Formats: sequence, structure tokens, C-alpha cells
Amino acid sequence: MLEARGLTKRYGGFLALDRVDFQVRRGEILGYLGPNGSGKSTTVNAVVGLIDPSAGSLWLDGVHMLDDPEGYKRRIGYVPEEPHLYTHLTAIEYLMLVGRLRGLSEPALTVRVPELLRLLLLWDSRYSTMAAYSKGMRQRVLLAAALLHNPDLLVLDEPFSGLDVTAGLLFRTLLRMFVSGNRMVLFSTHRFDMVEQLCSRVVILSEGRIVAEHDVASLRATGSPSLEDIFVRVTRQTDFTPLARRILDIVEGA
Amino acid sequence: MRGPAFWQRISQRPDSRLTSHFFGAMFDFGILTPAGADSLIHLSLGAIGALLALGLGFVRVYAAKYAVLSGARSPEPYRIAVLGDDLFLIGLSMLLIALLTLVVSQSLFPDERDFRILGPLPVRRIVIFRAKLAALFLFTGMFVAVLHLALTPLAVLTSVSRYSEHMVVSRLLAWIVASVSASVFSVLAVAAIVGVLSLVVSRTRLHSFTAIVRSVILALLVVALPFVFRLPALGRPMSLHATWLAMLPPAWFVGLQRALLGSPDAWFLQLAEIALTALGAGALVVASAYVLLFRHFEHLLLRPPSISAPWLSRDGDRSRPRTMSVDSAQIARSAAFRAVYRFTSATLRRSELHQAVLLGLSACGVALTSSRLVGAGWLKGVSSENPHAAFLEYLALWTPFALMFIYGLGVRAAIALPMTHRANWIFRLTETDATRSEQMRAVERIVTAYVVGLPLVAGLPVLWSVIGLKQAAIAMLIVAFVGGVFVHAVLLEWRRIPFTCSYMPGKRLIVYTVVPGFAAFVLFAAAGVRLVRAALYATEMAIAIGLVLLVIAAILRRKRVAEWKEAPLMFEDELPDQPLQLGL
Repeated sequence: MLEARGLTKRYGGFLALDRVDFQVRRGEILGYLGPNGSGKSTTVNAVVGLIDPSAGSLWLDGVHMLDDPEGYKRRIGYVPEEPHLYTHLTAIEYLMLVGRLRGLSEPALTVRVPELLRLLLLWDSRYSTMAAYSKGMRQRVLLAAALLHNPDLLVLDEPFSGLDVTAGLLFRTLLRMFVSGNRMVLFSTHRFDMVEQLCSRVVILSEGRIVAEHDVASLRATGSPSLEDIFVRVTRQTDFTPLARRILDIVEGA
Repeated sequence: MRGPAFWQRISQRPDSRLTSHFFGAMFDFGILTPAGADSLIHLSLGAIGALLALGLGFVRVYAAKYAVLSGARSPEPYRIAVLGDDLFLIGLSMLLIALLTLVVSQSLFPDERDFRILGPLPVRRIVIFRAKLAALFLFTGMFVAVLHLALTPLAVLTSVSRYSEHMVVSRLLAWIVASVSASVFSVLAVAAIVGVLSLVVSRTRLHSFTAIVRSVILALLVVALPFVFRLPALGRPMSLHATWLAMLPPAWFVGLQRALLGSPDAWFLQLAEIALTALGAGALVVASAYVLLFRHFEHLLLRPPSISAPWLSRDGDRSRPRTMSVDSAQIARSAAFRAVYRFTSATLRRSELHQAVLLGLSACGVALTSSRLVGAGWLKGVSSENPHAAFLEYLALWTPFALMFIYGLGVRAAIALPMTHRANWIFRLTETDATRSEQMRAVERIVTAYVVGLPLVAGLPVLWSVIGLKQAAIAMLIVAFVGGVFVHAVLLEWRRIPFTCSYMPGKRLIVYTVVPGFAAFVLFAAAGVRLVRAALYATEMAIAIGLVLLVIAAILRRKRVAEWKEAPLMFEDELPDQPLQLGL
């Protein structure tokens, strides 16, 4: 289980995360929702170890992250929001680089990398540098890179952007099967439909604080309002009609 | 008079806006953060100031030279000097403009990025092409104008003499026409090469192929630079109509200059014909490339990448995995080494910017050493007839050390520049104390091969030809041991994986970098020569020196490996005046 306790992050005087507590249990996909600037990416960056939290702690299966930071990082796979890749490399070269940095042996890599590329429909473009790839192709490379070392926890930051319908379906199935093997996924996204389809629980973040935590299945069973309605209510989003009207007025020259 | 409203209308037209955008893009190398871009502007202003100072220095030298020539009894020395200096002035502008065009050659033709960004906008393709061409003319035209303005005092000085056969104004006009034509030829030659590559090389290969071709041309141009400064010495062969000069492009345009001045000399007229033919051919190739790209843009620039490219690395495509009987910690360490080693070599192979920095600076070393060796009569051989024999021997010993130092600067500068900086998250995520020193060892291996290996390869034939094989072999051993110590100086305080740390140019005043750097270069090369001379004196001495250097290298390495294990990697460059982060 991944557990965040009182996770706090300050940038100068700005409080990006304010005492956030959540858990990702084994066999679970936790949806992590929030409007732009709510602290989603800050949480993700802290969980994967790209930034140090100002306060609070992260525990993976009862072990504090700082007690064994290298072991902690080894157990995490990460798909970032933007497909930041070394686009001068080919997909094979990039995956080999990631695999080697993750400490995988050459025999393991020579089996896994070509197979992953074939299964993710990237094999035909294996000798092209990723500069020529579409966003969806780059996203597939990132997913392959995140899975390459067989992690316990997948941290996904908007992983479905740029994917076509087929790849999206494949990813959803893959994530369900991934957690069925008693593993965990932290799924940060803006997409309510994805959360409703994939996640067992959802945490909603606003202005750096958790404002709601729900069990998605029970929400459905009790006939509660939709996730989108809950989101709008708890994040205090107002009625957007006047704002939309003003935007149209400006472009229509009214 | 056109009013401001007219100019405002002009500047708001899509052509003008796009031209302005493409013009700005010629200064954009895509690797700097906003703070880094600010530093670059300051650095560029400093460089322009230094160039102006250099130009003023030239004026003083020329004034003294032509005062002496005007006072000579015969007009012959003046005529020969003018021929040589005309060749130099034209050759210098050709070389500088070619270098500049090469630096911006990624922006010479509309590319895939332009098409993808501008394609969906209501802008006709002809407008994009027109704007690109206009930006190219504007950019190169600006530099041609500035350069000729800076060289005009020199051209005037060469024309003011009692022996001059032409009026100053007509000589000046002929020089401007010939020299600007020569500069245009330089632009066309570079553009023609880039255009032909865009047309004939497949999209999969285009990037890496263009990168290599650009780097090779850059290296050749840099190597040619000191030889351009030797062009004034070619006044006499020019006056004697040496036929080999017809292979030298600046000579063609000197012929054009003389033809414009009404010279009846058939040789000059023939050179002028070559100049005009070359200009026409260059213009034709560039125009054809533009027209073909314009007509078949989608086909040529958006063609799908090839699915089989045997020239690219087939990393990971091996069907038979090798068996390894080692523990997982050792696997992780060797994997970390391979990861950084292959990432560094792939980036150096494919990135135009990094190749340009590495080969450009290394070419400076080749240019400096080869020019000095040629100047000391190396091509004539070592004999009692060579008055510079002792100096040539010194230069032969000095060459590998000079190359080592300059290659060291080149490789350090190249690996310090970032490549897709935001993609470094994968290195940040996977950094561990256990593998960091292996990653740094990979950097050390690459730096050693470049900084020690290449000077040894380049220096051996020079030393062999000057001091004989046996002596050269001993000298090379000492050079290698010195290199082993020097690598530690190159990697002093180095805590980065190549290309993964942001870069801030001009972190300190340029003078604080150049002066100590130059002093270090002089001292290092001089000390190296002394060590080799001492080693050549007696075999026992050679063994002692070799052992001492070996021990120093081993101690330094041990210290550095220990530091690598302790200190975390650096991913963000810092200004030297920023407070020291203790990281407690």
C-alpha cells in the first residue's frame, strides 16, 4: 500500500499542497482529480521522488520512502503528463536507456523491449527517431518505459492524452489486469469518464487540499449525483454560463 | 513621404509578420532557458565589442604596412601586397559569412515544423516560402553589410598610395561588388548543400546525415580560418598567375574585382568568368531546391519514415540474449555505465548543435597546430636547410598537448549543453548512490577517448616525421600519462550526466574565463613539452616521469570516484554568485 501522510509542499510563500493524506491500496486504481493548479502534479512529483515535500511523509508497504529511497524508486513506474522524451533517440534506444537506468540486465532487456514494441504497435517505427512520432506513439513509449521494470506502483499523470480509441481501450484493459495482480495505480487525470470506468476510489483535490474522497462503486449504487456534479460542488466551481457568454460576446464582437 | 500608417500596414501583413518570425528563429537554438537566453545576449554583445577592437587593431597594422610600401622605390612591392590583401579581405568575408550561414542552416528552408504549425493557418504556401527567403536575405544581408562596413577602412588603406593605378572610389566600389558577390556565393554554397540534402536524403536519414555534413563543413571552415590569415602571402603567386590559384574561390572574386576595374589581363578575366559561373550555378541549385520543395512539399518533407534503416543502431534487436553470471548489483552497475555511454554517443552522433560545438572547437585546435606547423616549414621536412628546424621540433612536441587542451575544452563544452532538458526526469528518477559512479565512469571513458586518444593519433605522425619513430613512441607514452592527469582537470567538479543539466552561458565575465584559460593553455603545453624533453633525455628519466604521472592520475581518480559516490548529480546550472546549497 502507498500511503501519503500530511504531504505538504511550499514554493516560497505559495502553498501548493496542504497536509494531504491518501492511500493507494493493493489491487486498486485510485483516481486523483482536481482542477488546474489544485496540486495534482505536485503530488505526483512528490510521489515519484522528483521533488522533496516540505513536510509529511510517503510510505510504501509500511516502509518510509526516506529509509530506502532507491528501493522505493525501483518499485515505481511513472508516465508523466507531457511526453518529455529524448526525441533524438529511437524507441528501442530510449527503452534500452530506461531499462539500463532501472538496472535491468541485457538479456532481460533484449527480450522485453522488442516484445513491448511489437505489442504496442511501435515495431514498424523502431528505427525512426521519436522526433517523427505522434503524441499517441510517444505516450505508448512512455507506458512501455513505465512498465519495463515490472513495478508495484504505477503513477500515471494524464496518460490517455493523445491516444487513439484502440490504444485507449488497450490501456484501460492493461491497467485493470495490472492491479488484478495485487499491484497499485495512482491515476491523476481531468477525465471523469476514465475515473468512473477505471477507478475503485477517487480523491478530489482543490487548492492543495483534499476536499472529497469517494468509493466509485458505492456512488453508483446509491444513485448519488454524477462524479462531475460532485466535482463541481466540492471544488466550488460556479455556473459557467455567464463566463461562456462573455467569451462568445468578445469573439462575436458584441 | 510615406506616413507611419503605411509602414504599420506593411508590418501587419502576413509576409512581414512571418519574415519577422523566421528572422527571430535564426537566433533560436532551442536549448536555452529564458535566463540562459539573456546571458547569451550579453555574451554576444561582448563578442561584438571584442571583434570591433580586433578590427581597429588591424587598421593600425595596415596603416603602418602601407606607409612603408608607399615609400618604397618601386611600385612592385605595393602591387604584390595589394593583390595578397585583396585576396585576404575577400577570403575573410567569404569564410565568416559561410560560417554564419552554416550556423543558421537549420532555418534556410521551410521544414516540417513550419508546415505543421503554419499549415492549419490561413497562410498560403507561397507566403511561407517568400517569408523564409526574405528572412534569409535579411539575416545574411545584415551581416554582409556589417562585415563590409568593418572592413572598409582596410580596403581604403590598401587603395591610398602613390602607386595605386585606380581612383580610391573606383577601387572601393569594385572591391565592394566583388566581395559582396563572394559573400553571396558563400551563402549560396551552404544553402545549396542543405537544399540538395533536403531533396535527396530520406527523412529517416536526413537529420543525422545533415548533422554530420554540417559538422564536417564547420570543422573544415574553422581549420581554414588561420590559413585565410596567410592569404596576404599569396600576393606574389597571384602576380605570377599561378594556375593552382584557380582552385581557390577567393581568387575567382579577386579576378572579378580586377575585371571590374578594367584590367585587360586574360588570367584575371578567366578568374572573373569562373566567379560568375560559380555564382550562377549556386543560385540555380538554390532556386531549384526552393522550387522543388515548394511544389512537392508534402511529398518531400512529410514522407513517412522508413521502417527499415540498417544504418541505425539495432540496439536491443538481438535475438539471442547473452548469459551473465553476475549478481543484480553488478548488473545494475554495468547497466548504468552502458546507459550513459550509449546515450552520450548517440546524442553526439545525432545532435547538430553538440556536434558543431565539439567539432568546431576541436577544429580550432587543428587549425592552430597545423597553421603553426606549416608556418615553421613542416611540409618542407626537417633538414639543415630549414631555418626553423629547432622551433619545428618544439612545435611537434607541443602539438599533442595543444590538441589535448583544446579537445578538452570542446568535449566539456559539448557535454555541458543540454538536450531536451525536460526529458531528464528519467535520469532524476533513477539516480542512486550505487550506480552514480558507474554513470560518471562512462563520462570519463568518453572524455578520455576524445581528449587523450585523438591527440595521440593526430600527434604521432607529426612527431614521427620530426623526431623519428623511437623518440616519437617515448614522447607519446609521456603524452598519454599527462593525458591521464589532464582528464581529471577536464572533469573537475563534474557532477552531470552529459546533456541533462540546464546551461547558463556567460556565468562570469568573459575576460575572467579567457585570460586564465589562455594562461592555463600556455602553461600546460609548455610544461608538457618540458616533460617530454626530459623523458627523451634518458630512459630512466622517462620511466620516473611516467611513474609519477601514473601515481598522480591514480590518486586523483580515487578521490573523484569517492566524490561521485557522495555528491548527488546536478540537473540545474547555477550562477556562481548564487548562495551555496549545503543540502544538509
